Amino acid sequence: MARMKFLCDADRCIECNACVTACKNEHEVPWGINRRRVVTINDGKPGERSISMACMHCTDAPCAAVCPVNCFYTTADAVVLHSKDLCIGCGYCFYACPFGAPQYPKVGNFGSRGKMDKCTYCAGGPEADGSKEEYAKYGANRLAEGKLPLCAEMCSTKSLLAGDGEIIAQIYKERVMKRGYGSGAWGWKTAYREAIES
Amino acid sequence: MLIKRTHQRSDRRGSVAESLAGQGGGLDRRTFLRKSGLAGGALAALGAMPVGNVRKAEAAAAGPLAAGATVKKSICTHCAVGCTVTAEVLNGVWIGQEPSWDSPINRGSHCAKGASVRELVHSDRRLRYPMKLVNGQWTRVSWDTAVNEIGDKLLQVREKSGSDSVYWLGSAKMTNEGAYLFRKLGAFWGTNNTDHQARICHSTTVTGVANTWGYGAMTNSINDMRNSKTMLFIGSNAAEAHPVSMQHLLESKELNKANFIVFDPRLTRTAAHATEYVRIRPGTDIPVLYGMMWHILKNGWEDKEFIAQRVYGFDDLRKEVEKWNPQEVERVTGVPAAQLERVAKTFATVKPATIIWCMGQTQHTVGTANVRASCIALLMTGNVGKAGAGANILRGHDNVQGATDVGLDIVTLPFYYGLAEGAWKHWSRVWEVDYDYLVSRFDEKKQMETPGIPLTRWFDAALLPKADVAQKDNVKAVFVQGHASNSITRIPESLKGLKALELLVIADPHPTTWASLAVEAGRKDGVYILPVATQFECAGSRVASNRSMQWGEQIVKPIFESKDDLEIIYLLAKKFGFADKMFKNIKVENNLPVPEDVLREINRGSWSTGYCGQSPERIKAHMKNQHKFDLVTMRAPKDDPEVGGDYYGLPWPCWGSPEVKHPGSPLLYNNNLHVMDGGGAFRPRFGIEREEKLPDGTTRKVSLLADKSFSKGSEIEDGYPEFTLASLKKLGWDTDLTEAEMATIQRVNPANPDAVSWALDLSGGIQRVALKHGCVPFGNGKARMNAFGLPDPIPVHREPIYTPRVDLVEKYPTLPDAKQFRLPNIGFSVQKAAVEKGIAKQFPLILSSGRLVEYEGGGEETRTNPWLAELQQDMFIEISPADAADRGIKDGGWVWVSGAENNSRAKMKAMVTERVGKGVAWMPFHFGGWLGGNDLRKNYPAGTDPIVLGESANTITSYGYDPATGMQEPKVTLCQIVAA
Amino acid sequence: MASFGRFIRLAFGVCTLLLLAMAAPASAQQVNPTASSVKEQQLLQELNRIQGRVSIPDQRSGVLEQPQGREWREFRMVTLPWIGGVAIIGMIALIMIFYLTRGMVRLESGHSGRTIVRFNGFERFVHWMTATCFIILAISGLNVTFGRQLLLPLIGFEAFSEWSQWAKYAHNYLSFPFTLGVVLIFLMWIGGNIPNKVDIEWAKRGGGLIGHDHPPANRFNGGQKMIYWIVVIGGGLVAASGYALMFPFYGTGIESMQMAQIVHSIVAVLFVAAMIGHIYIGTIGMEGAFAAMGSGEVDVNWAREHHSLWLDEQMARTGPNDGQRQPATAAAE
Repeated sequence: MARMKFLCDADRCIECNACVTACKNEHEVPWGINRRRVVTINDGKPGERSISMACMHCTDAPCAAVCPVNCFYTTADAVVLHSKDLCIGCGYCFYACPFGAPQYPKVGNFGSRGKMDKCTYCAGGPEADGSKEEYAKYGANRLAEGKLPLCAEMCSTKSLLAGDGEIIAQIYKERVMKRGYGSGAWGWKTAYREAIES
Repeated sequence: MLIKRTHQRSDRRGSVAESLAGQGGGLDRRTFLRKSGLAGGALAALGAMPVGNVRKAEAAAAGPLAAGATVKKSICTHCAVGCTVTAEVLNGVWIGQEPSWDSPINRGSHCAKGASVRELVHSDRRLRYPMKLVNGQWTRVSWDTAVNEIGDKLLQVREKSGSDSVYWLGSAKMTNEGAYLFRKLGAFWGTNNTDHQARICHSTTVTGVANTWGYGAMTNSINDMRNSKTMLFIGSNAAEAHPVSMQHLLESKELNKANFIVFDPRLTRTAAHATEYVRIRPGTDIPVLYGMMWHILKNGWEDKEFIAQRVYGFDDLRKEVEKWNPQEVERVTGVPAAQLERVAKTFATVKPATIIWCMGQTQHTVGTANVRASCIALLMTGNVGKAGAGANILRGHDNVQGATDVGLDIVTLPFYYGLAEGAWKHWSRVWEVDYDYLVSRFDEKKQMETPGIPLTRWFDAALLPKADVAQKDNVKAVFVQGHASNSITRIPESLKGLKALELLVIADPHPTTWASLAVEAGRKDGVYILPVATQFECAGSRVASNRSMQWGEQIVKPIFESKDDLEIIYLLAKKFGFADKMFKNIKVENNLPVPEDVLREINRGSWSTGYCGQSPERIKAHMKNQHKFDLVTMRAPKDDPEVGGDYYGLPWPCWGSPEVKHPGSPLLYNNNLHVMDGGGAFRPRFGIEREEKLPDGTTRKVSLLADKSFSKGSEIEDGYPEFTLASLKKLGWDTDLTEAEMATIQRVNPANPDAVSWALDLSGGIQRVALKHGCVPFGNGKARMNAFGLPDPIPVHREPIYTPRVDLVEKYPTLPDAKQFRLPNIGFSVQKAAVEKGIAKQFPLILSSGRLVEYEGGGEETRTNPWLAELQQDMFIEISPADAADRGIKDGGWVWVSGAENNSRAKMKAMVTERVGKGVAWMPFHFGGWLGGNDLRKNYPAGTDPIVLGESANTITSYGYDPATGMQEPKVTLCQIVAA
Repeated sequence: MASFGRFIRLAFGVCTLLLLAMAAPASAQQVNPTASSVKEQQLLQELNRIQGRVSIPDQRSGVLEQPQGREWREFRMVTLPWIGGVAIIGMIALIMIFYLTRGMVRLESGHSGRTIVRFNGFERFVHWMTATCFIILAISGLNVTFGRQLLLPLIGFEAFSEWSQWAKYAHNYLSFPFTLGVVLIFLMWIGGNIPNKVDIEWAKRGGGLIGHDHPPANRFNGGQKMIYWIVVIGGGLVAASGYALMFPFYGTGIESMQMAQIVHSIVAVLFVAAMIGHIYIGTIGMEGAFAAMGSGEVDVNWAREHHSLWLDEQMARTGPNDGQRQPATAAAE
């Protein structure tokens, strides 16, 4: 069974932010909501690496575990999605998430959070595939059209890989073998409890 | 879906391994799509799956929202890599962007800018209708009124001050057709004051590189760097300026184990991926390159055979190199000798090696000399004209190469014919207009043949005493179509220029800083803003950095009242009364010249540069068949019916008429290939021999033609000069010319047909015959290490005008003051005064500037795009932790930056980072809309202000111009920073 | 608690990183950024979190990875339900056992028919405002911790989400009057709630709950003082941590957010348990006690039994009210 994952090859990532704007473009994500972001570690120092990060669609997802209203669900492709109809904007998933993925629009007074928003792996939400309601709440549903997430598809250096976990792990392994270096599949151990030997 | 996907996984595993063997890229999406089946039905299965607690809605009937959309292809407008943009359009609305998998250039990828271009068309902050400034208020006017009033005013200025007093500033964002017509408009108006971004971008490259070996362009291609074994980045931050190119460069680094060496004052995002990073002091590229050459010559690593056969002036160069021993190099540049020796060895011995450069080399008072030094390093090691080698010069705008080629320039007519009488006559023949009519349009014939004023100095041309400006009068009116003002240095002085003008016309999708600064300068009237469509709303051809031409379709019709560049040019020509003459051979529909027709006219006149074979039909066929071109060679299989054997985009020179079916030349000067396969040689452009003075006072004549080197299959197995009818006759090849061709040649020069050359022959016959015999039409010469004719024939290190190393100024001063491009260049006096006044003590930090990945150029367009603007919300200056600590500056805190001229100061945030070394500060140059700490948002017409505003780097930049091109100096000046 | 340990490790890690950073640029001779790239596992081992630079203003997004979310999850999913369960169910069990064995603490000397003012109107208003808020806050709060397991299966997703959404609003908005109440309680009754020698004696004698002893007490006996301080300190803590949660990331990072939630929830469940005890004593646990907050007046006999020192004081000052009977049992039901 296909198990969808993201893998950011930090030795390829150049912080060009294509993944970020591709996501904004595909889903018309509003200002202030960053479903995906690029973080640069050791900025300006030798050994600096940038990593594009969004929801990793964890195995045994912490967000789903801690959600007080149980609004998360995992699709057959192992994509972790949630229902905005059920979400109460409590913020717990953000505390549990190892990757800072959940985003909350600021609504109303004092930092009160609206319905949580996060990367959907371009797989929409509980509404009918490709429906207007789904688009309005979660954005496009590319997976249903047989396409992969746009962030990875548009990655300038093919650093960000999306797809079946085994295949992208294989791609990464072969890259590392060929070039002789690799700083690891960032987040995999935390998200999937596995590392790619390199 | 699951079942299918499982299937496909086992299927795909094999192909993944294969695709990795090649490039290890992303997943093969076409396979994915085919095998996973399309949406609807597949997802129905998902509904039945146990999907946790929340259930997927059952209704799977709703299809994707984009159902029924048409797909259009255009080219990204944000740099010259040439990424294809694939747009989904539904009911005239651009609803989505899809990866452009078929393009061999971007293979689906984009950078932040490319992935967000849809918003440029969407934006509700675009200009909607023409406006003019009335009593300090922006007021809506109709297009008719605007064109009439502007036209009348321009004619009035022309009447009073002459045709040269109108400055026509065009754009590298125009299509070839737009830029060509803009230049043609200048010619018909009667001025050479027609310029565009190439001036401040790669004018020094064009001049320096063309003077070395014939053409001033990238010799190879980004894809070809997949063959490189050593890549030397000097003055290029590809990761932020040309992100998609990094896909090819990093794969080359990985698959070839290529050396990836970055020279830069900053540890850039590119440097972060280097195999070796060399930090240099800004403005010392020549000493660094000479330092490398010193090691190369000392150890005999140079390519002696290549030098003997294909290079002129090696001995002159050697003398200069010998001055740069490791101690002196380290003293001047700060690069340790051992490191430089190691890099030199790698560069000279691990071949093929390439040098990649960009603004880091070109934007200097020594820009031309910088790029010449790079070319010389390549020549010395035999790294030109080969796969994986060459000068890979990354250009900045989507069509800056094309706009330069089509002559939107002050020194030449289209395609580098120059400005001499012969050039004007050539174009008058192509345009089918009387030469005398063109002469009559100018103030005087001399002005027609004199280079115009560089855009870097338009305000000097407006402000200097009339006597100092070598034309009838000062510049009185500026018509700017698609060019930022904040990308030009010395903003405080340009502000005075804005005030002095009688008329300013800004034609752009956005008001730009021209508008906000004009208001700030105190203007109450005499400013017009015309809304121009983005290139996504226009059709036409663009030339990428690698010289590949690509056709962009119109994705949607121009929004609001905006108009296509071509239409605006036509309306002006009509107003001026020469539209019939100017568009004699170009069909015009509803005031819109047909771009295909314009390109055909370009084809008919561009023999010198080989745009002659790039018919619209061929280019469009390439766009349709993108997937057929090889990733590395960029060539289509020979047996393909439509594009067989062609290189992608027919990279110029694409010789002969389209019928000759020349495939284009992906690698310039490559003599390992037959000329009909894209082979070539160095162009003997500066005579065929040269008289040299010897030390004993005697002279000798030295040939400038290649020596026993020639392109594959050439029937002349040695160097040879350019082809003319006379030389064909000498070879007995004139009999190959058809009667029609001969007749055309006779028509070109009835008095002396023998003198008609490959570049002037409008029939293309001479080119066809030369190609038939395996010869390059322009000849087979040597590249020049000694480029006699340039201010510094052999590159010489010269300290920046404002340098912190005053101790070096005496030994390495800038060139003496001189009159260049109609204006005085007083760089020497400025440098001298700065040293005497102790400017370097007052302003101890070197200030450099550069690009951010999210923004482009002056940045108004990208700062208006919320998807990009969100990512960079504040203007900032990078400062090293040591310098910050000395000044009590905190990361993210506000600072005042003050500059060496005009008491300039600017307020911005500090970024304390080790990217820059001690003593160096760096700013991005994309911001605008603030001046001296004041927010100018109110100066924009309501609702058109960019989301993000900030201080312009060029408020602080200072005097300094390259003597050969008028290039400005935004890369090295001095500043002081204090916490605000 | 695991998270405290984390902080120490974090602080240590930051120091290590600083040292590393300072050591790095020294090797200017050969800089090979490819060979010296940062490694995820190394960073995680050093700091247990990875942080970098982002260009967007939302600086918390600079935290790339914080696996300690896992520990917070453990706390929320396992530790907290145990603490809460044991405290609350334990308290209820204790009360039930006590009630079954001891029954209601009777007014031994019977009603005198004479009453004395124990709490004035304002005091009662503050008490009931705080109490009402507390009960709603407690229920809506417990809903977050236990609702998914206990309530959701009964009423279904939509209803539970709807209820939880309202509960969240109620929790957020009622926090303000609750906090005000806590502050007023603190100011109003601080005078009578400073622990003193009497309390020691009172505690020694088991507060009179065991057997039929009636140790002397001031206006507030040892048990009530305990409740007072639980309310003041516990209320203060839940309010402070609650506002940190309600105004997320105002000067707090993800770690302090997790910490705030941990503090808030532990204090809250203990608070709830304590209040269950308080409610018991104030109602069915003790005859005549409810009147104190009900009508505000208590029977003099009741006062004599439970707050002898206070009664003496009051009698000396004014004397009891006449003629008003108010059987405590009636109100207690």
